[in-house]
Order: sequence, then structure tokens, then C-alpha cells
Amino acid sequence: MSKFQHIKSFVTGVFLLLLAAFIALAPQSTFDYVYLIISLMMLAYGLRLLIYYFRMARHMVGGKIILYQSIIVLDAAMFTLTLATASDYIVLAYLLAIYAFAGAIDILRAFEAKKNDSPVWKKKIVIGFLEMGLAIAMIVLGLVFRNTDFLVYGFAISLASSGILRIYDAFRKTAIVYIQ
Amino acid sequence: MNADFHYYATYCAAILAGYSHEEAQDVSYSDRMVDHCTLTLLSKLKAPAAAATTQMQLELMDSRTGKIGLQNITRIWASFHFLPGNLHAMPKKRCSKGYLQKYRLICKPNGELLAPTVDLAKGKSLQAVGVAMHVLSDTWAHQNFAGTPSLVINNTNNYFYELFENEDGVSEKKINFRHSVSAPDDLDNSVYISSIYSNSENSIMNLGHGRAGHLPDYSFIRYKYLPAWGEYEELIKNNPSDYYCAFTQMVYAMKYLRGETETFEVGRYDSESVEPYREEIMRIITKRQPDSSEDWKALGVKLSGKEPEPFDLERYQSEYTSADKDKKDDTFIGRFILAALSQKSMVTNRIYRSGNKLAGYSIEYREKGFKGMKDFRRLIQSSGGGDKA
Repeated sequence: MSKFQHIKSFVTGVFLLLLAAFIALAPQSTFDYVYLIISLMMLAYGLRLLIYYFRMARHMVGGKIILYQSIIVLDAAMFTLTLATASDYIVLAYLLAIYAFAGAIDILRAFEAKKNDSPVWKKKIVIGFLEMGLAIAMIVLGLVFRNTDFLVYGFAISLASSGILRIYDAFRKTAIVYIQ
Repeated sequence: MNADFHYYATYCAAILAGYSHEEAQDVSYSDRMVDHCTLTLLSKLKAPAAAATTQMQLELMDSRTGKIGLQNITRIWASFHFLPGNLHAMPKKRCSKGYLQKYRLICKPNGELLAPTVDLAKGKSLQAVGVAMHVLSDTWAHQNFAGTPSLVINNTNNYFYELFENEDGVSEKKINFRHSVSAPDDLDNSVYISSIYSNSENSIMNLGHGRAGHLPDYSFIRYKYLPAWGEYEELIKNNPSDYYCAFTQMVYAMKYLRGETETFEVGRYDSESVEPYREEIMRIITKRQPDSSEDWKALGVKLSGKEPEPFDLERYQSEYTSADKDKKDDTFIGRFILAALSQKSMVTNRIYRSGNKLAGYSIEYREKGFKGMKDFRRLIQSSGGGDKA
């Protein structure tokens, strides 16, 4: 990474951590913001696809499909933003998908690592079950007890973990040394 | 290429190049090892993580798709399996910098990094020779795909036909792809397994030849398709011809590494030494089977008079783990690790110097001293303190 990328990674990490803390400290008042963030993320995804088409995919065989996809996603994102009431279940489904997928991958990786006698399997399996546990807790608290605070905490955790990872990246040495 | 070529065919090529049975075994073992040296294996051996030469499917899925994760993937796959052919290539039409950087990582045989790859093994260990032979032969099998995740370069569509030579000329049969990880390829019905379509440019589904399944790895197959970067121009891939070129080029390269020839030139092959066995080799290469190990092995026995031992991943592990810290580099795996670090360092440096950051940053020790990943300190130690100005 260049110096600028190191700084960018650090600043983004700190911003994500602050946002996570802000959301976690006032779950009731920030729930609408969580919903808004997710809707804006969808809008950003549509825009990203559109830019991707003009920058790269237009050179690709069959690349027009990216253009069509970007238009559909943008349309859906704008429609979602116009909805007056926030749906707890959209947030729930989003968070569930993130944790369940990450958890499943970590558990599968743990089994694979164990099969190969690699010691990292213990760490992987703990993280995997923690993520799966969070997904299950969200189903129970979100669907059964209808507690939206927990959803906000879940979202804050995911923001905080990506913030920590970015800060970690900012201080990592990643350059390859070339010796002639 | 499949394990059969990366082990038994390399053994045969090494014998033809003049190596002894024992030396040829070390070379072929190291060639095959490139497809097994994962982060998981290295963590088991408590070896430097930067020496990984491949990634398992789940390691890839577990990789973070941020900039650093993608650079790590690119370093591994571009250095060992998809050696870029021309780092200054220009597409026919004007394009963005992002597209250009990916386009320039397309793997081609006889590219600008081939001679540096072979030269890197000159005067080095047999393990370094094996690593170089792996990279060389993969440039033939994996050509036209890039060792970085990229939809716009590596994607394929439904236009995929297998070509069969017969008395009437050439007939073609539509190839169908399935996306099941566990199911085997159905060679009889031309149904092959490939990675699933993902519209994300940097998805690992779009790494290398994943979208074309194992087709580039089968020596017998001929097919035509539309590469994503090819401006709708049909590309015919003739694997038997390419695999034969790979074999004869390996013999030529290893003769150079043994000191039989003064220089290594790209585009040259040792067809003369291989000619007496051409018919037999072509029979093996064109035989429609997923694994040709037994046939290559039989040829190996014929060439050396000795039977090459089957590949055993565990064979040298205890030698490495039980060695003292300062003696690890003298073990079989230690020498393989040094060769892998050296190749990765060289390829990353060349890509970086071409103005392309997809494989990450490279710091030249001679100019700036040691500032990068600590795993690469081993290279300085092994080169006797380096050549720092």
C-alpha cells in the first residue's frame, strides 16, 4: 500500500469504529439510520455497477448485461428509499445473511485446516461458531421477541469489525522485497 | 495442467534433459509441490506464509476481497500459475487504466517473464528448477486467462464447443458447464464443472480459468470459445499441440539449467531430443482420460530404467519441522520455500515496475534496504546478505 492508502485505511477504520459506537450507544434513535444506510448501500451498488460498465465491462464479451443490472438495481434502490416505513426484517435478513455466510465459511475452513493438521483450525472454529451464534441470536431476538435493539447492536458489531480490520491493514507491512 | 503432467511428465522431461533419476524426482516433486503449498500447509509446518504458491478453494473464499487480499491472490496466481505474457500489452480499443492493468496480466507462453523465471533457477537448487518448470508449463495450459480475479478478462459465455478430428475433418460438440463442486467432469458427454457466474469484477469465481472449468488442464482436448477480452473473436485452443510444446520447452530449459547450453531463449524447444518419443508422447497427450499418470510413469520407467516414486505430500515434512531454525533452509522444503519466495518476489517486482499495482508493492532491497514483509528476510540470508548498494 502507498502512504495515502495507509492513511485512507486508517481514517476509514476510525470512522467505522465511531459510527459503530454512535449506533450502539443509542439503538432506538439510530434504527432508522441503519435502514437508511442499507438503502444507500444498495444505491451505491447500482452506481458502482454503472461506473463499472463504462470503465471496464463495455469491453467484455456480453458486457451489456452489467448495464442492464445497474439500471435494475438503481431503480430498486430508489424505490426502496421512497418507502415510508422501515422494515425491521430487511435489516434482519441482511445481517443474518452476513453472519451466517461468514460463519459457515469459517467453520468449513476450520474442518479443512484440521484435516490438514493446521493449528489455525481452533481459532477458525471459535470465530465461525460465534458468527453463527450471532445469526441464531438475531433470529430468536428479532423474530420471536421483536427486539430491534439487538439488530442495531449486530449492525454495529459488523461495522466495528470492518473498522478494526482496516486499522490493522493500515499498519501492516505488505510490500514484497526484491533482491537482485 | 493436471498432477500427471506436473509430476510424471516433468520427470520424463528432466531425464531427457540429462538429470539422474534422483535429481529428476526432486525436480518433479517440486513442480507438483507448487500445487500443494498452501497457507494451511505452511501454517502446519510453521513456515513463512508468504511462500504460499497456491490457495485451496476455501482459502480463496475466506480471503478478504479488499485491496490487500486481491494483491495477495494476484501475487500467488500470477507468479506461479498464470505468468503474465506482456506487461505492456495494449488492447485494440482505448480503455480505462483499471481495464488495462487487468488486461496486461493475461498469461501467454513465451512471454517477457519466462526467461527471468528460468534464469532465476540457474545455479540454484533442484527445487528452484521444479518451481520454474511448473510456471513454464502452466504458461501453455493457462494461456489467455489472468492470475487475478477479473470478470472482464476471465469470463466465458455459452459459446463453447469441443472439437474432434475425424476422417471428414473436424466436428464440433457443444460443451455444457455445471457448477457443482463435488461432481466429476463427464468426458463422454462433454459436460464439465466450472465456477459459477458472478457479476462482481473481483469475485474469486472469476479467478484464472475457473469459468472454463478444467478444460485448460486436460491435455487431450481441443475447443473453441469467446474469451471475455477477445472482442468477439473466436479462439481455438489446441491443448495436445500446446502440451507438446510445453514438454519440449521444459527439456530445452532444463538443459540450459544443467549448463548444456549457454543461453535460454524464448520460443525455442528441444524437439530433437524428444523426437524419438514423439509418437508415444502424443499418444499419452491425446488419450481421452482425466488422469494420465500411469502412461507418463510408464514412459518414465522406459527412459530412466527406474520407477519414479508416487507423490507423497508428507515425504519431506518431518525433515523440515525437526530441523534447527538455522538449518531449515537446507532441507528439501526449505529450499522449495526459498525458490517460491524468489519467484514471487521477482514477478511482483516486474509487475510493479510496469506501473501495475495489482500484485502489490515491491521494494528493491538494493536501493531502499529491507522495508517489506519479514518473510522475505530469508532471501537476503540465502543470498549471503544481499547486494545492497
